[in-house]
Amino acid sequence: MTAPEIIFDDVSKFYGDVLGVNRVTLHIPPGITSLVGPNGSGKTTLMNLMVGIIRADRGALTVRGISPDHPEQLMRIVGYATQYDAAPRGMTGLEFVSMALMLHGFTQAEATRRAWAALDRVSLTDAAKRKVGAYSKGMRQRARLAQALAHDPDVLVLDEPLNGLDPLVRAETIAAFREYADQGRHVILSSHVLQEVDVFSDQVILIANGAIMAEGQIRSVREEMHEHPSQFILHCRDAARVASMLIGDAHVSEVKILDDGAGLLVMTRRRDDLAAALSRIAIAGIEIDGVIPADENVDALYEYLIGGGR
Amino acid sequence: MAVYKRGYQRYQGPRTSHLSRIMVMPRFSWQRLMGMKITIVVLAVSMVWPLMCAAFIYVANHAELWQGMGGDMVRFLNINGRFFEVFMNTQAVFAMILAAVAGPGLIAPDLANNALPLYFSRPLTRGDYIISRLLVLLGMLSLVTMIPALLLFVMQVGLAGWGWLADHWIYAWGVFGGFALWIAIVSLVAMACSAYVKWRVIAGALVLAFFTILAGAASIMNAVFRVDWGRAVNPALAMNQIWRSMLDMEPLEGPGAWACSMVLVLMGLTLLAALTRKLRPVEVVK
Amino acid sequence: MNISTELRQIGVIARLELRRAFLSKRSFWVYLLALFPAVIFFGHAIEVKVRQDRWSREGTVQPAVLDRLNRGMTYNEVIKAAGTPIRDFEWERRRRDEDDTVRMRHVLLFDGRRRSDLTFRNDLLESVHTRPLASLDEDRQVFAGVFQFFFLRVAVFFGCLGIFLNLFRGEMLDKTLHFWLLAPARREVLLLGKYLSGLVASSLIFVLGTVLCFAALLWANDPVEVQQYMNTAAGHELFRYLLATVLGCVGYGSVFLAAGLLVRNPIVPIVIVLFWESIIGFLPQMLQKLSVLYYLQSVCPVSAPVEEGTPALVRLLLSPAAPSSVWVAVLGLLGLTALVLYAASRVVRKIEIDYATD
Repeated sequence: MTAPEIIFDDVSKFYGDVLGVNRVTLHIPPGITSLVGPNGSGKTTLMNLMVGIIRADRGALTVRGISPDHPEQLMRIVGYATQYDAAPRGMTGLEFVSMALMLHGFTQAEATRRAWAALDRVSLTDAAKRKVGAYSKGMRQRARLAQALAHDPDVLVLDEPLNGLDPLVRAETIAAFREYADQGRHVILSSHVLQEVDVFSDQVILIANGAIMAEGQIRSVREEMHEHPSQFILHCRDAARVASMLIGDAHVSEVKILDDGAGLLVMTRRRDDLAAALSRIAIAGIEIDGVIPADENVDALYEYLIGGGR
Repeated sequence: MAVYKRGYQRYQGPRTSHLSRIMVMPRFSWQRLMGMKITIVVLAVSMVWPLMCAAFIYVANHAELWQGMGGDMVRFLNINGRFFEVFMNTQAVFAMILAAVAGPGLIAPDLANNALPLYFSRPLTRGDYIISRLLVLLGMLSLVTMIPALLLFVMQVGLAGWGWLADHWIYAWGVFGGFALWIAIVSLVAMACSAYVKWRVIAGALVLAFFTILAGAASIMNAVFRVDWGRAVNPALAMNQIWRSMLDMEPLEGPGAWACSMVLVLMGLTLLAALTRKLRPVEVVK
Repeated sequence: MNISTELRQIGVIARLELRRAFLSKRSFWVYLLALFPAVIFFGHAIEVKVRQDRWSREGTVQPAVLDRLNRGMTYNEVIKAAGTPIRDFEWERRRRDEDDTVRMRHVLLFDGRRRSDLTFRNDLLESVHTRPLASLDEDRQVFAGVFQFFFLRVAVFFGCLGIFLNLFRGEMLDKTLHFWLLAPARREVLLLGKYLSGLVASSLIFVLGTVLCFAALLWANDPVEVQQYMNTAAGHELFRYLLATVLGCVGYGSVFLAAGLLVRNPIVPIVIVLFWESIIGFLPQMLQKLSVLYYLQSVCPVSAPVEEGTPALVRLLLSPAAPSSVWVAVLGLLGLTALVLYAASRVVRKIEIDYATD
């Protein structure tokens, strides 16, 4: 049985004359998927399309087999924490979360119980009975997160969920995402903090100007980018000798000894050839302590594919 | 030397005049309003009646066109206070609609976006701000009130001669002063609605509601208490009474022009107080 | 998803919205609109009671004296017959078209039930206006006028505008509509839930206004007369007024809910609806049926009086050409509402969040 996916099939969305996203085709498997791209690239549009609060001008999409045309089915399995900072007037944090739960069909008592649990997960129980309008930006963010999590959805869609969270809550939240994803659910999020995305994402979708630039696991995306040589750091005692052995190889475009002399940076066009060369060096009796990919991260992908648009 | 003394130097160069600074906002607002389709439509529709009145003046001053017609027609084709009163009553409605369209966009967005601190951190006082917003409406509303009225007056003088002017100069004062009062009241209502209702669109509806509801309230008071002083509470009727006095016409039944003036002045002051109370250079977090 | 779940969702949405509709600061002016006529009627009732009490103490005349007053009597003759009047006020008047100054005099007499306002011109009785201090029949007519011309046309109209426009357009402007769209509910369910909340809120507020008005009307009048009225037409008339109030909320509510979904700037539909509702008297019968006011006026039990001197053209505007029967009116209005709500449901299915342009 194939895993349930989120499928975009040639989806386009225009806001009048302005392009939202253009001819997007995606198959997103369960796990943590990060949408990465500069401001205005179409990340929020993709998320809004997923939950049906905007409609595609062309193409079709389904979330675990359900079309956004059926919110009564879709929203049972989806929780969405939007980027919109407004909250309904006069509601407390607890009411804000329990309101959504009551719409799911939970009784008031059950909705209240679940709301407390969700607020606890985002460390907002102390402020639960205060008006959302009086919350700080970070607290409102947590309240939205609690609302998205409260009904225990299969698909979590989170627009910039880590914005405004303090480091402790941030770490807890990321751990919660990981736990969610490990249960075979979808966690779709957008983020500007590339280092974080790098750490917790199972796959990334790089988007710019409404078009998908790359998608998949970071490493496999990196491997597809032949025009940019892969960078590796080799830790070894005799860096100068290793460099001399590698410099003549056709696949190596650049070798640079690190400032501390404890290793070197190698740029290669073919990873397999580099692996063969390293075997050769090892056979020659030179000890290599470690090989670390230097550009297998979102930061590098972003730089290569999108440029300095951050 | 303290760092700030080296790093900061106050601007010492020439500045534009106070009036010129006040006019900055109206200039931008007029430009924006003239770019709105709805403003153009209201302006265009509100020109129909002045054109018809101009045709009426033309016909009234060309006796050869209606020779042989009965006395009723002769009496009807007369440019007098009644003519200007009817003109003013009609255009006053368009002024109200235009204020409902143009007024709410003046203050509501500034409040909704917490922009007032930005204005008041410039060399601009709260009074300047109100005046500049009033000027926007004065400019817009005079397009459908004072300007066509005075043009009609000039046309009548041109056709009827200086003798007519000598006898009827009071009409010029009547239409100018009368419309100025109406513009002041309508503008204050529009600005107060704009200041108290964050949504531009609802504020516009409230402008219309203000006049409709007060008219209804005045009628209720008159009907239930079997009196006629309720007319003074209806801004349109109160203003009409004042106009009749300014146009040297017989007053209508009910409170006289002075009583109506007093009520309108009170209404204006209340609106102004409500407006200034709301316009504070602070950011309000709800 | 079955019907009972959807009904439950409608209930939840309505309940959540109701609190906002009743308790938010924005609703304050709706209460003012709804209760204003009641305040005036209570004011009238208090005025009647106070005058009755004070004038009775100050001295009443025999009812027969009031009946014998005729134009042309001198001031002295009147005072001789009636004794000291309750009010006697003299002033001089000079009209533009009159050369001489005229001495005017207003005299007020009271026989315990009726008041007589006498106007003297140069000491000769010019006019006599005798009427009961409080007349239930007259008050019923006034109430009919206030109800139709103010309550339905202004208060319910603008009140519903405020409440129902707030349901969708207001949420768009507040940037909070997405919370509702993210609920696991069909959009039609959301529409109905919100409509129901607006309907309950507006109906309760305006029904309260009508009932208070009616109570004040009864309080102002002679208890015997009121009792007689209560035994005959009061229940039926009150029911019809309440029916018209609720139907007004049903009809205008649906129109403004749809307007809030369809157009960004509600001023245009407000002016159009206001204009349409005003000119409906001129239109053919067929088109009249597309007006909320047409049905509401048909439900009202007493025809609204039209002020004397009102031009024929305006008189036409103030009453429907041919009122329909109550049942036709109720069904017609419900049909019209269903049509408008159906159109709104088509729109709400496709509604998108686009806060940036609001």
